[in-house]
Amino acid sequence: MIDPAVGLDEFFVASAALFVVLAIMMFYRAIAGPTTQDRLLAVNVLGTNTVVILALLAAGLGEPWFLDVALIYALLNFLMAVAISKFTVERGGVL
Amino acid sequence: MTMSWFAYTLMVFILLTAVTTALFRDVLSAIVVFGAYSLGMAIFYTFLLAPDVAMTEAAIGAGVTTILLLLTIARTTRPSTDRLFERVHWPGVVAVGAFAIVLLWTVLPEMVAVGAEDAPVWANADVTQYYIQHTYDDTGVQNAVTAVLAAYRGFDTFGEAVVVFAAGVAVLIVLKREVFA
Repeated sequence: MIDPAVGLDEFFVASAALFVVLAIMMFYRAIAGPTTQDRLLAVNVLGTNTVVILALLAAGLGEPWFLDVALIYALLNFLMAVAISKFTVERGGVL
Repeated sequence: MTMSWFAYTLMVFILLTAVTTALFRDVLSAIVVFGAYSLGMAIFYTFLLAPDVAMTEAAIGAGVTTILLLLTIARTTRPSTDRLFERVHWPGVVAVGAFAIVLLWTVLPEMVAVGAEDAPVWANADVTQYYIQHTYDDTGVQNAVTAVLAAYRGFDTFGEAVVVFAAGVAVLIVLKREVFA
């Protein structure tokens, strides 16, 4: 049961804050590595996490157009992984 | 209450990513971690109700910067790494930190609160009111910020676009390659 006095908006923002805590924990993998591929995967998961946080913020702050930012991030999060994978395979063939 | 806790945890995340980016010796890892920093900044801009800035951060930070930096290390040498992190020069850290604290201590109390009655923007209330009242009749654009940017100071924005275009051409000349062919 959600206490009506607390409000659903607060609940959404609090969940977003918890997801940021998860992001900090996930960042351990980005620091520890040991290879660049591990770090890339960690940041990719962080990107997916970001989309969730932005969607929760859109619901919590009552601003539906934040979902546009989430969509752009969902699209662009993919780009960095592709670029770095291409870079490691072809050694310099980024574009 | 919840809002400020969200902001604090986000600030911890952003600080962590920024410091790690600066300290990594391996440039490829630094680029990857910089992507995480850009994610945090995009969430922060969104949280501060500036989704347009967040969209720019998403496009530039996650997309363009990564590819430009990758192109750069493809053209240069990637230093071989014996250790994971850069050595920290602690006296320098203390000096810069003290300087930053002094700056914040002197500047931040002087800043006007958001929506304050005595904010400098109300010193020229006539100008502000003019844009708020006449923007739609003058330009037909509903968003006043967009109208100022693209209509009232349109030539200025055009000049900026020319500068950015010239910079792009210069980058392509330096790379000596038709990247979009």
